[in-house]
Amino acid sequence: MNDAVLSFSGIRQEFPAPGSDVGIRVIDGIDLDVGHGRFVAVIGPSGCGKSTLLQMAAGLLMPTRGTVHHRGRAIATINREVGFVPQQAQLFPWKTLAQNVELPLLLRGVGADERRERVAAALDAVGLSGFDHYFPSQLSGGMQKRGSIARTLVYRPDVILMDEPFGALDAQTRMVMQNDLQMLSRDASATVLFVTHDITEAVLLADNVAIMSQRPSKLLANIAINLPRPRNVFEPFKNPGFEDAYDAVWTVFRSQIGIRQQPH
Amino acid sequence: MMRSGPCSDPRSASASNPTESDRRLMNDLATTADQPLAGKPSARRSLASKAARGLMRLLPGLALLGFWQWASGRWIMETYVSKPTAVAARLYELFASGEIYPHLWTTGQELVLGYVIGVAGGIIGGYMLGRSPRIASIFEPYVMAFYGIPKIALAPLFIIWFGIGIGSKIALAAIMVFFLVFYNVYTGVRSVDRELANLTLVMGANQRQLTYHVYFPAAAPYVLLGMRMAVPYSVIGVIVGEFTSSIQGLGLFIREASATYDPAGVFAGIVILLVFVAIANFLAGRLERRLLRWKTLTVAAPNDI
Ligand SMILES: Nc1ncnc2c1ncn2[C@@H]1O[C@H](COP(=O)(O)OP(=O)(O)OP(=O)(O)O)[C@@H](O)[C@H]1O
Ligand SMILES: [Mg+2]
Repeated sequence: MNDAVLSFSGIRQEFPAPGSDVGIRVIDGIDLDVGHGRFVAVIGPSGCGKSTLLQMAAGLLMPTRGTVHHRGRAIATINREVGFVPQQAQLFPWKTLAQNVELPLLLRGVGADERRERVAAALDAVGLSGFDHYFPSQLSGGMQKRGSIARTLVYRPDVILMDEPFGALDAQTRMVMQNDLQMLSRDASATVLFVTHDITEAVLLADNVAIMSQRPSKLLANIAINLPRPRNVFEPFKNPGFEDAYDAVWTVFRSQIGIRQQPH
Repeated sequence: MMRSGPCSDPRSASASNPTESDRRLMNDLATTADQPLAGKPSARRSLASKAARGLMRLLPGLALLGFWQWASGRWIMETYVSKPTAVAARLYELFASGEIYPHLWTTGQELVLGYVIGVAGGIIGGYMLGRSPRIASIFEPYVMAFYGIPKIALAPLFIIWFGIGIGSKIALAAIMVFFLVFYNVYTGVRSVDRELANLTLVMGANQRQLTYHVYFPAAAPYVLLGMRMAVPYSVIGVIVGEFTSSIQGLGLFIREASATYDPAGVFAGIVILLVFVAIANFLAGRLERRLLRWKTLTVAAPNDI
């Protein structure tokens, strides 16, 4: 087909409506390619099916119509070559931080010595060295999120799927995490599909911003963001060209979120 | 009431009141932000306070015993209530003469076997129904219906089916334990976060690994709660079975003591049962603390402030 790592083609999704035989169409034909090493952000109004797209990429949900291909292979079962970072950190509360990060390696049959090394390296990368033996309940929200990211990075998945990973964090932690993610994904030259509500976040982090319409949703635009890297996530407007890029996305997006006109 | 889950347990409720040392731990975590915690609250002080609390707990019991001893023969006739010293003497006599051992052995066997069978069945059944909505939708109404039957009423039936030996008592205890454990495990397994399970599958887990790494630990608090709640029920099952009809056992011993107007003997039997329950509770508590270490730590979460 093409050289995209992840490719959605002709995706439609219907869900059974409560108390009715006919399904409700949520996604109405989406085509989207995620190229190797690219960081693609998906934005769209609430309920338009962003999380649903990620579920399909992970093989947890089969689209009603259309196919998702991962490196040319149609996804038909759980896709173990992706990593999933959910909105809530979802660490295993009964495992320590190190055991949490270790689990994907354990499940994939990596040897004990290598596991220890890679866990240490992953925790170090997200700035959590020394917290190995802490249980998630002993970590702050931001630290849990870092743990969740370390648990995904540790097995070097081919594609990282992130579902509003920083949505629940406070503004400061969020900026720090965005900065870290920018560095980490660049160092790992990772392919990332990143769902968010936040236009600023999308523009700051992504190489491409895909904009979805309200449901039944279509892809309104896929805008390339050609800002130089590394980008300053702490002062977005200091990035040369940020304003134009933001405007380009906002112009498309504003039509979808019914704003009341202010009479002057 | 079965569905309320482990949170309804009074002991875990009291655990959410942070003690002095917990509060200190929280402050440590909050102030040192991203620094690993250094040092733990001194173990010696907490040991001393534990001993003091233990003493405080003994007081009401001692007071009750003292009152019993004093009132017996003064306010109430000793033939009705016996008295602690008489009960102690009777206990000593029972063990010294060896008279009690066959009863102990029989009841002990019945308790352990009934409990183990009931717990095992409850865990397996609850897990299977919890994991498969299809099986659950078929069997749930039946289990519900059986749950409504007062199990005690089955005692005479079980005597007919399994004889007056230990079989009928094991069956009665097992069925009482089964339903309690079953409902807790069923609730526990169904409470497992779907997203967490999916996440684990994407991480690379197969079904067996999913069970081991997610479902068992997630359901563990419910399983353990069910197991602890089931201890007294297994005793009820066995004793009622022995009351109904038996050749040997503590229930029979208590009934005979009562028939021969031997209140000290009745109380001695009850004391032995109490010891059984206390030992079982102690073991269950130990198991719980070991398996749920991650849960007791929740108190120290800095984001709970
Ligand atoms: N299992 C399901 N059964 C029925 N409807 C569903 C199901 N899952 C999702 N939906 C519907 O599909 C729509 C899209 O859901 P999805 O979670 O993908 O939205 P989203 O874009 O991620 O929204 P948000 O930004 O609020 O997270 C929602 O309107 C939801 O009602
Ligand atoms: Mg969503």
